[in-house]
Order: sequence, then structure tokens, then C-alpha cells
Amino acid sequence: MIGATAAGLVGVLSFHTTPARLTIGGLSGTSATRTSPPTSVAAGPPSGQGGSGAGTATTSLPPTSPSSSTTRTAAGAQVNYNFGILSVSVTVSGKKITKIGIASLNDGGNFRSQSIDQQSIPILEQQALQAQSANIQGVSGASYTSAGFAQSLQSALSKLHVA
Amino acid sequence: MTATASVVDEVNERSQAMQYLEHVMGTVVTIDVYTDQGGAGPELSLALARARAILHRADAVFSTWKPDSPISRLRRGEITEREAPAEVVEVLGLCAEARDISGGWFDPWAMPGGLDPTGYVKGWAAQRALDVLTGSGVSGALVNAAGDVAGFAGPGFTEPFRIGIADPLARDRLFCVIELTGAIATSGTYERGAHLIDPRSGRPGARVASASVSGPDLGLADALATALVVAGMEGLPVLDALVGYEALLVGFDGTARWTDGFPFATKLVGTAPM
Repeated sequence: MIGATAAGLVGVLSFHTTPARLTIGGLSGTSATRTSPPTSVAAGPPSGQGGSGAGTATTSLPPTSPSSSTTRTAAGAQVNYNFGILSVSVTVSGKKITKIGIASLNDGGNFRSQSIDQQSIPILEQQALQAQSANIQGVSGASYTSAGFAQSLQSALSKLHVA
Repeated sequence: MTATASVVDEVNERSQAMQYLEHVMGTVVTIDVYTDQGGAGPELSLALARARAILHRADAVFSTWKPDSPISRLRRGEITEREAPAEVVEVLGLCAEARDISGGWFDPWAMPGGLDPTGYVKGWAAQRALDVLTGSGVSGALVNAAGDVAGFAGPGFTEPFRIGIADPLARDRLFCVIELTGAIATSGTYERGAHLIDPRSGRPGARVASASVSGPDLGLADALATALVVAGMEGLPVLDALVGYEALLVGFDGTARWTDGFPFATKLVGTAPM
């Protein structure tokens, strides 16, 4: 189900997390994530696409990729977002995301920030999980906070060699 | 593996995706480009640099948070519209058009703090960033400015981009998925509080939980989505009369209404079109 995992996560968080090596390049001052295309986008429901998606993705896996059954967790970089600093933790089993949480959060303690965080971060976590079964390249109506969340998540995934 | 899947694999092997992130306009704008060749050639690199510059220029000119931005100086009356950069005149002209099209439900001149074209600028800038990419040899491109999305072609040779619309009432799921035709913008009250102003009262006044507008131009779609959140269901006829633009409204009670041509990728269950 690599294709579904990758393309779905791309959707909500606007990050291409199809298994591929993370590279930085392109424009100065711009971080670039070079990926293979989301393998499940082209046709059919994700459940019918796993075989071909996985086949395509496997060719671009880094050589250090662990076996598909290993469960591992990493915390992403601390990222400044509009209302504070957060770090996202992610747990994967093989290439599939099984849990996303907040590793650290400093929102300055002000009420407005806390209110936004309390509302949006659990939702973002759920969206990231939900997205694993969606076949989309983006979400309309995402939040400001999600950008920082996505950035840290991307960082965590790259540590685990799944992005 | 079916024959269809084989074709899909071939498409995926030939189309390479690259993503660029821009920290701008108080958020992160993502730019996805798809190329047949793999890698960014000189033409694409130049186009990406221009796209970045467009976003940052829009931020510098139109940020109401930066006291020295031309829009801030215009708001304080320190400069006139004629003394402002050319983009200001262009955007305010487009805002006036959007105000007329929306029947006054979108009105940057009726905001409590004075002139505020923010509801137009993010979509406008993202659309312009996309437009410089479409002629740069890419097979597809997508610019996502914090949920306002403009796309050209698709991720492969034939299929369109598919974009989820966040459910404003249950944010652990998507409300629906659309096939992107041009652009889509969604406005709503979630996450950032009830910040949308009803231009007719000058006070916060959302009548639906979220409004999404699809159409050929993200600037106008952005403005119309903002308008429809405060107009509510009675604003839908405005969209019905506007060629090329379609809308989906989700009420606070979870009921949805949409214009006939709204580009659902999958059918909604349990609700009815207007």
C-alpha cells in the first residue's frame, strides 16, 4: 500500500512523500523535495493500486531502507509556524504511517495560540492518517498551522527514509 | 496486473514530480511541478525563480501586517493609489470587478480596518505564480497557497489533479474530492476563528461553515469563496450565473448545496444539489 500511503499524505499535507530520497536543491533559498510521482494517482481506488504502486516506488527506495515490517519512530525538526514552534513525531511500520503526534510544542502560552493548537493539531494528525487512503494531490481549506506541521512531518519522514 | 495498471506505471516512470516550498505571505506555499524529462532544466529553473519572485513581491506590496508595505501606507493615507506600485492598481481593479460580480458580498473597501484586499491577493499571487510555470516545458504544475490551489494539466499525461476539500465540521476527514479544473479556493470559519467580515454590516458574519469555489482564476475564486461564506446559500445564484465558476457550500448543520457543474470526483451521499 505504498502508493496509497504516499499519495494520500501528499494530499492533506501537500507533501510528496512517495518513498524517494530527500534532496535539497533547485532554487537558492528554497527547499526542494524531489520525489517520484505519487504512484496511486493515475487510476483506480488505492486498494486496487497497491501492487503497481509498490512496485514503482520500490525502485526509488534508498539502499538503507529497512524491511517492510519494522516499526520505527522519529521526531521531526522544530519548525516555526505562525503561532509558535512545533515538532512532529511520526511512527511508521515499514512504509506505512501508523501514528502521528506532537513531539514538542511551544506556542508562547497565549490563549489564542493554545486555542488554535488545541483545535487544529489533533485534526491535522487525523487528517494525515486519513489521507493515507485518499488519492489526492492537495487539500483546499487547509490551515495556516498545517504548513509548519507538514514541514516537521516531512523532516521526520526523511529521517526514517520514507520521504 | 491489469493492462490499465501497466499504462499507469509507464506514465509514472516518465513523469517526474518535484516540490518546492516557499515561506511567504505568512504561510508556506507549495509548488509542485511535473516534468517528462526528469529534473529541472534552465527554462524551468528560471520559471520557478519568477514564480517565487511573484509570491514574495505580492507579500511585500500587499501585506497588511508590514507597516511599510505599500498597502499599509495606502491604508494610512500616506500615499495615494496613483503613487502605489502598479500591482496595487491592478489588484484593486480586479477587486472592484470581484465586488461587482459577487453582488457586494466581497468588498475590500468595507472592512473594519480600512481597505483590505487580502481576500483576493493570496489567490491572485498563486495564480500568477502558476501562470509563469505553464509555459516552461512542464507537463503539469500545482501551486497550493495554504489551501487555495491553482493547477495546470495534471500529475500524469491525462488525468487531472484531484484535490480534497476539508470538512469544516469534522476536520478528521475530507468532505469530498474534486477533479481540479483550473483553481479551487475554500474559505471558512474553522481554525482561524470567525474572522470573515460581512461587508453589509462590517462585523463578523459567516452564514455557512465553508464555501469552495472552482474556476479558471484563483484570484476570483478566492474572492468569491470569501463572499459566499458571508452570503451563505443565498449567494449561490450569483455563482450559477457566472460562466466557468462553480461553488460548494457546507452549512453549520452539515448540509451541502452546490452549483450544477461543481467538479466532484465522487458523488456525495445524502445531500442534494440546489
